[in-house]
Amino acid sequence: MNRPLYAVVLALFPASALFAGPADYVFLPAVTYGEREIDFKSGTARNSGDPRMSAASIGFGYGATQRWFTEIYRKYESSGDEGMHFDAWEWENKFQLTEAGEYPVDAGFIVEIEHPKDRSEGNELHLGPLLQTELGKLQLNANILFERHYRAESPQRTELGYQWQVKYRLQPKFEYGFQGFGELGQWNRWDPPDQQTNRMGPAVFGKVGLGNRQALRYNAAWLFGVSKAAPDHTFRFQAEYEF
Amino acid sequence: MYQILGVIALVPCLALAADPEFNLTIRDHRFEPAELRVPAGKKIKLLIENKDDTAEEFESHALNREKVVPARARVTLFIGPLEPGRYPFAGEFHENTAQGVIIAQ
Repeated sequence: MNRPLYAVVLALFPASALFAGPADYVFLPAVTYGEREIDFKSGTARNSGDPRMSAASIGFGYGATQRWFTEIYRKYESSGDEGMHFDAWEWENKFQLTEAGEYPVDAGFIVEIEHPKDRSEGNELHLGPLLQTELGKLQLNANILFERHYRAESPQRTELGYQWQVKYRLQPKFEYGFQGFGELGQWNRWDPPDQQTNRMGPAVFGKVGLGNRQALRYNAAWLFGVSKAAPDHTFRFQAEYEF
Repeated sequence: MYQILGVIALVPCLALAADPEFNLTIRDHRFEPAELRVPAGKKIKLLIENKDDTAEEFESHALNREKVVPARARVTLFIGPLEPGRYPFAGEFHENTAQGVIIAQ
């Protein structure tokens, strides 16, 4: 993206809106040692009057230890009528800090480094704590995420975002609940509510065992914008092939 | 102030000490015992030892737990507190033989 076009994008979308993409997903603190996965994520978002924004990624992940999962993926995006094009490489590292159920809240930590194709955006660093607890058949997740661009052409600030999820564990192949995502603005000085990108909506989840150490895992959500700067509708989907 | 911090610091230790422990062994791709009775309403500490030469994955949707047990290794799981009932689990890598159930009563 050249500099004038980047300036136009920044003017059209508040900085906080650039934080998250429609293909974002809720991080979970647990790590499965030795698990390999091919991970596909996709999403599309639209605000009335604006071009549709879509994103997708494909990645390979590996549970390197009982406490560390690492994944690298290639991200794509499109806006309006333009086709999908390569956007960035991303390296995700997740650390499980506590054993599930050992304490009232399970904890993990996420560190993501994104290397965009457009060098004017610099590199992005996302990090933050991942929290999970259970209430009977309900699983509750809440994550706090900090994001900052480095070596970007435009002045940067550290942004604060969040994710949450409530899941009712009905049966392995089908679970349901709600998810929410949002970006609040600068970590220590939030944007006014109408400039935040808060969105939430119903979600479904499941895992289908394929035998021989293989499984398909999915989750999808339809998110509604609950603040003015958020897209009116976002559909997001994630499928993982575990082997 | 330091007394309060000291008490807070001790809470996790006390909680750990209070968790009753149970053992599961994986041998020949089977869980031993295949039926484990535990107290309802209490968090338990489950020690799983894999005596096979291959890894196994303890998996239970009912317990919301999934944990790989490497070959010839031991892992610890924390479960519950559970309502009275049956909570099936399986070894995902050898599902035909590795089956079991935790009975909370």
